[in-house]
Amino acid sequence: MEELLAEVVGILVVVVEACGAAVIAVGAVWAFARFVWVGLTRRTSAAFVPVRLTLGRFLALGLEFQLASDILTTAVAPTFEEIAKLAAIATIRTALNYFLGREIEEERRQVAEQEGDRHTDPAQRRTGRTA
Amino acid sequence: MSTLEQVTGAIAGAVVVAALVAGALALAVTRRPLTALGVLLDLLVAAGLLRLAGDPDWRAVLGAAVVVTVRQVAGAGLRTAQRARSGGPRRGRRPPGRRRPRAWAPELHRLLRPAWRA
Repeated sequence: MEELLAEVVGILVVVVEACGAAVIAVGAVWAFARFVWVGLTRRTSAAFVPVRLTLGRFLALGLEFQLASDILTTAVAPTFEEIAKLAAIATIRTALNYFLGREIEEERRQVAEQEGDRHTDPAQRRTGRTA
Repeated sequence: MSTLEQVTGAIAGAVVVAALVAGALALAVTRRPLTALGVLLDLLVAAGLLRLAGDPDWRAVLGAAVVVTVRQVAGAGLRTAQRARSGGPRRGRRPPGRRRPRAWAPELHRLLRPAWRA
């Protein structure tokens, strides 16, 4: 029974990990294509920001999958070294996921503020009042 | 080495090359090293995460940790430089008369007075 559980968990871990890796790989390829496109056509520093944000979202999603596989691996981690390695990897992934979430939230807020400024009436902007 | 590790290792290598190309392009186009550094580090983080898939050795784990740390430090540097250039208020120095917004206040209020008590 225990061997069967270990086998099933092992397959699940590989599948979930592969899903996470696929998401990150697709995000990296997409971001690279967009970086090249933006670099050749728009040539401004601000044009790179949305691409970086979208890459951050891809990374965050891939990390969710990889963290899920880490949690699954804890069900079958026989040696102490494997557990230590798992803890280190899970820490890196969790920290990165946390920071990515914060960065995405901050950038989203800044973009929303810029959008709000753009939609504000110029006369109101001069007087410093908004409706 | 499993098939997953071989595949992700190959993709990670390609992503490292893509990071170098994209970083160089960003530097050449914008003439801003900080923007180029951000682009480079974002793609390097993706490569590091790909290397962590499967059953990585301690070197891969350490490499990913270093890239993530460098990315965070560089990100903090980028934001500080941006604030300094735009002339905005520096962290920790608030204009007089303005109180720090309390991020925890709504949460505390929700805990003390949950919806079912209203």
